[in-house]
Amino acid sequence: MHEYSLAHALLDGLTEHLRAHPVSGRVKAVHVRKGELLVLSEEALREAWRILTEGTSLAGSELRIEPVPVAVRCPACGYEGPVRYTDEEGWHFAVPVLACPRCGGRADVAAGRDLAIVALSVDEDLP
Amino acid sequence: MHDIRVGTEDVFKRQLELAARNHKLLRERGVRAFNVMGAIGSGKTLLILRLAERLREKGLRVGAIAGDVAGDDDYQRFVGAGLVAANLNTGDECHLDAHRVGHALETFPLGEVDVLFIENVGNLVCPADFPLGTEGELVVISVTEGDDMVRKHPKIFAQTDVLAVNKVDLAGFVGVDPMALVDDYRALNPHGKVVLTDAKSGRGVDDLLAALGL
Repeated sequence: MHEYSLAHALLDGLTEHLRAHPVSGRVKAVHVRKGELLVLSEEALREAWRILTEGTSLAGSELRIEPVPVAVRCPACGYEGPVRYTDEEGWHFAVPVLACPRCGGRADVAAGRDLAIVALSVDEDLP
Repeated sequence: MHDIRVGTEDVFKRQLELAARNHKLLRERGVRAFNVMGAIGSGKTLLILRLAERLREKGLRVGAIAGDVAGDDDYQRFVGAGLVAANLNTGDECHLDAHRVGHALETFPLGEVDVLFIENVGNLVCPADFPLGTEGELVVISVTEGDDMVRKHPKIFAQTDVLAVNKVDLAGFVGVDPMALVDDYRALNPHGKVVLTDAKSGRGVDDLLAALGL
């Protein structure tokens, strides 16, 4: 439900970046990393991006969302890596279980809460 | 067409920094704070009032921040019960965030409380993404919302370490088995603590205090 404010924050960050590092050509796609723990609708985020970029130099650019899977770090056994998902245990959907998949201990989230722009696809032949 | 790598700041980074600032301030002032999330009408406010009664019996001073989209109904309930309280209307937002809470803490009389409950906006979706900088988090649901609440909003339960299943006295009337909620929660969050409560009668409140480490 906060996709607009987050799209706005992404746009602010990119606008600032482009002011310092201008690109020649048209930005066709904006690549975003989105952690899978975030409760965000990708469709709403793309729609918010479309509306917020209207009338700017980024108008018509497509938001391409790359999911970032959850990774944990276990203070007890030192495990670092991916987690188990509930669908492996008979649930109908996959939710990451935030415990160490090796020893079962309480684990810290190392990845999966990200939201950042990582790359732009630029068509240098377009103004 | 070519790709350019850019490293814009993670948009949640500022939220996490602000949450860390709140955490530091609360620690320095010796205040143990808890983010109370949960469904609309699940009984968050009454449960806080019950927790506050027990804590005051132990000689602790309790405060509450009432987060709501509009109005001061919960704030008035806190004040009426003699708590040090502040009202925090979000106006349009469906959740509290560290920035808004940080501003509230600037004027809150932290020196007058030992324990502070921050009651989030009733919502099982968005608050999960916005840590406030509290020592602990609690999510409250009630049996009257149905036995599938955990499955319907898995992410907030996977990430919150204490769950209160409230209004258990009504379970028979609405045909809900509270243990279905407990089992779903345990599957999602093997380290989570779950307590069955009935805020009206006070059942489970002592267990909830223990689950929160209070």
